[in-house]
Amino acid sequence: MIELTHLSKRFGKHGEIHAVADVSFRAPSGQITGLLGPNGAGKTTLLRMLSTLLIPDEGHARVAGFDAVTDRHQVRCHIGVLSDARGLYPRLSTVENIAYFGSLYGLTGRALNERIAFLLETLDMQALAHRKTEGFSQGERMKVAIARALIHDPPVILLDEPTNGLDVTSVRLLRGFLRALRDQGKCLIFSSHVMSEVATLCDTIMVLNHGRLIAQGTADDFRRKTAQASLEDAFFALLEGDETKRGAA
Amino acid sequence: MKPWFSWRRAVTILRKESLDALRDRRTLLMILLPPLFAGPLFLMLIFSLIASQSERVQTPALAVQGSMHAPALIAFLERQQVTLKHLPDDYENQIRRGRIDVALIIPETFPDDVAAGRAASVQLIYDRSRDRAQVTIAQMEYLLTAYGKEWGKLRLLLRGIAPEVAAPLKIEAVNLATPQQSGALILSLVAFYALFATLTGGMAVALDASAGERERQSLQPLLITPAQPFEIVAGKWAAAATVNVFVVALTLAGFYLTLRFAPLPAVGMPFLFGLMEVGRFSITLLPMALLLPALHFYVGIRGRSVREAQASTSALLLLFSLLPIAQMFLQYREPDWIAAVPVAGHYALLTRALRGEMLSNIDIVWVYAVPLALLLLVLIAAAQRLNKEARL
Repeated sequence: MIELTHLSKRFGKHGEIHAVADVSFRAPSGQITGLLGPNGAGKTTLLRMLSTLLIPDEGHARVAGFDAVTDRHQVRCHIGVLSDARGLYPRLSTVENIAYFGSLYGLTGRALNERIAFLLETLDMQALAHRKTEGFSQGERMKVAIARALIHDPPVILLDEPTNGLDVTSVRLLRGFLRALRDQGKCLIFSSHVMSEVATLCDTIMVLNHGRLIAQGTADDFRRKTAQASLEDAFFALLEGDETKRGAA
Repeated sequence: MKPWFSWRRAVTILRKESLDALRDRRTLLMILLPPLFAGPLFLMLIFSLIASQSERVQTPALAVQGSMHAPALIAFLERQQVTLKHLPDDYENQIRRGRIDVALIIPETFPDDVAAGRAASVQLIYDRSRDRAQVTIAQMEYLLTAYGKEWGKLRLLLRGIAPEVAAPLKIEAVNLATPQQSGALILSLVAFYALFATLTGGMAVALDASAGERERQSLQPLLITPAQPFEIVAGKWAAAATVNVFVVALTLAGFYLTLRFAPLPAVGMPFLFGLMEVGRFSITLLPMALLLPALHFYVGIRGRSVREAQASTSALLLLFSLLPIAQMFLQYREPDWIAAVPVAGHYALLTRALRGEMLSNIDIVWVYAVPLALLLLVLIAAAQRLNKEARL
C-alpha cells in the first residue's frame, strides 16, 4: 500500500518549476494504480520520490507502511522499481545480472536460485538464461530488468512507462504478468502516457497534468464525467478542462 | 534502524565488479600488456644504448685527413687504441647524420709550424648536439690535450727545465659515485615507470565501475537497492585496487626477471634491482596503488560518461609525469619532509631505494599516512556524491 499526502517537489534555481504539486492519493494493495499524464506531467518525479531517489519538498509518502524519507532503507527493501533507467551489465549473463541484485537484497543459495528459476519461467526467458545481455533486444532487456527489480518478491512494485519500445507480444506477456502480481495482492503503480494502455490494465487511474492530480477514478468514470464515447477523447476532455481552469486562474 | 555498513553487500559488489572486469578481455589485455612487455622492452633499449656507448668508449673511431703531416701524433693515437679511418669528402654531412662521431684534420702547414717552433694547429670537427657522440668527443679532446702536454714536457726537458714548472697543478680525479649510484641514475626511469603503473593499472576498472555504470544507466537501479552508498564505493574501489596492486606487482616482477635472467648486453655496471629493491619498491608503492583507484573512481562518479571522466583524469596524468621529471633535474637532495608529499615523496623514496639506501621508519610512516588519509577522504567524498545522486 502507498499513501501520498500533499506531496510536492519543485525544481529550478528558485523552485519555479512545480514538478509535483500537492498530490494526495492512496494506492491499495491488490490493485494496479495507473499514473496517466502527458510528457512532463510529473509522473517520473512522483515515482522517483516513492523510490527514495528524491526528497519531497513538502508532504509525505508512506510506502508499504514506511516513510520514504525517514525510513529510506526499509522502503528500499520493500519496493521493486522498473525506472526509466534500466541498464544491464552487458558482460554478465541474464542470470548473473539478476543474481547480483538478489544478493544485494540478501538472498543467497537455494532461495536465490529458486526465485531466479521462477522468474525465468514466468517471463518465458529460459533460453536467455546464460547468454550475456550484450546485444539483447528491447523486449529481452525489459524482461531482465523486470526480473531484476522483482527478485526479492517485493510487496510494492513501481513501473515507469514499462511498455515503452516493446512489441505487441512482449506487451501482452507483461500485462499477464502484472495481473498475476495484482492477484497475489501486490500494490502496483503503472505510469504511462497512453490512455488505452492504462485503461486495459489499471483498476484506478490517476490523471496528472502540470504536476497536479486533476482526476481519479476508473476509465468508465472518466467517460461518464466527460460525456465522451472514446477513452482518448475523455482523456483530452480532462486535460482541456484543466488547461481552461489554469487559464482562468 | 538501517545497518551502516554491511560487509556482505560490499563483498557482493566487489565480486560482481571483479567478474565484470575479468570478462572485459580487451581492456584486460590493454592493462596487462604494458607490464609484461613494455617494461622489459624498455630496459633492453636502455641497456643496448649503454652498451653501444661503452663500445665507443672502448674503441673510439676517428676519421683523419692529412695523417702524413703528423706521423708522431698518428702513432700516439694508434698507441691509445684509437681506430683511425680515412676522412671522406662529405664529412660534414656524415657527422650531422651520425655516421662519424669526430673528425680530425691535420693541415699541410703542420710540419712547417712544428719545425719553426710555432703552435701547430689541428682541427677537431664534431656535432656537440648529438648525445651519442659526447663520449667520443670528450675522449678525443682529452687525448689531443694529453698529446700536447706530453710534447710540451719533452720540449721543457730539452731546455733543461723540470716539467712541473709549467704544470704546477696536478689533478687526481676520485669519483665518489659508487657503481650503484651511477646505475641508479638510469634506473630512476624504472622508478618513474613503476610509479606510473600505480596510476594506470586500475584506471579502466575504476572508471567503468563509476562513469561506465552511469553511462549504461545501471547506476539508478543499483542505488534503489538496499546497498548503502559507502558499501557501493568500498566494493567498487576494492575491485579496482586489487587489479591495480596486481598490475604494479606484475610490473615489478617484469623488471626483476628482465634484469635477472634476460640476455642483456654486458654493460660493466652493476644494476641493483634484486629482491631487496623489489621489497622496498613494493612497500613504497602500495599506498599509492590503493589511493589512485579511489581518485579515479571519484572522478568517474562525477563524470557523465567514461570519455568525460578520462579527460578529467589527464590532470592526474600530468601531475604524475611532471613531478618526477622536475625531481630528476633537481640537483640537490630532496628535503626529508618530501616523504609526506604524495607522488614526489614516493618517487624520492624509490630512487633512494635504487641507490641502495635503507628506508627510514619515519619515511615509511609518512609515505603511508598521507595517502591512506587521503584514501579515506576520497572514499567518503565519493559515497557522499552517490548519496546526493540518490536524493537530487
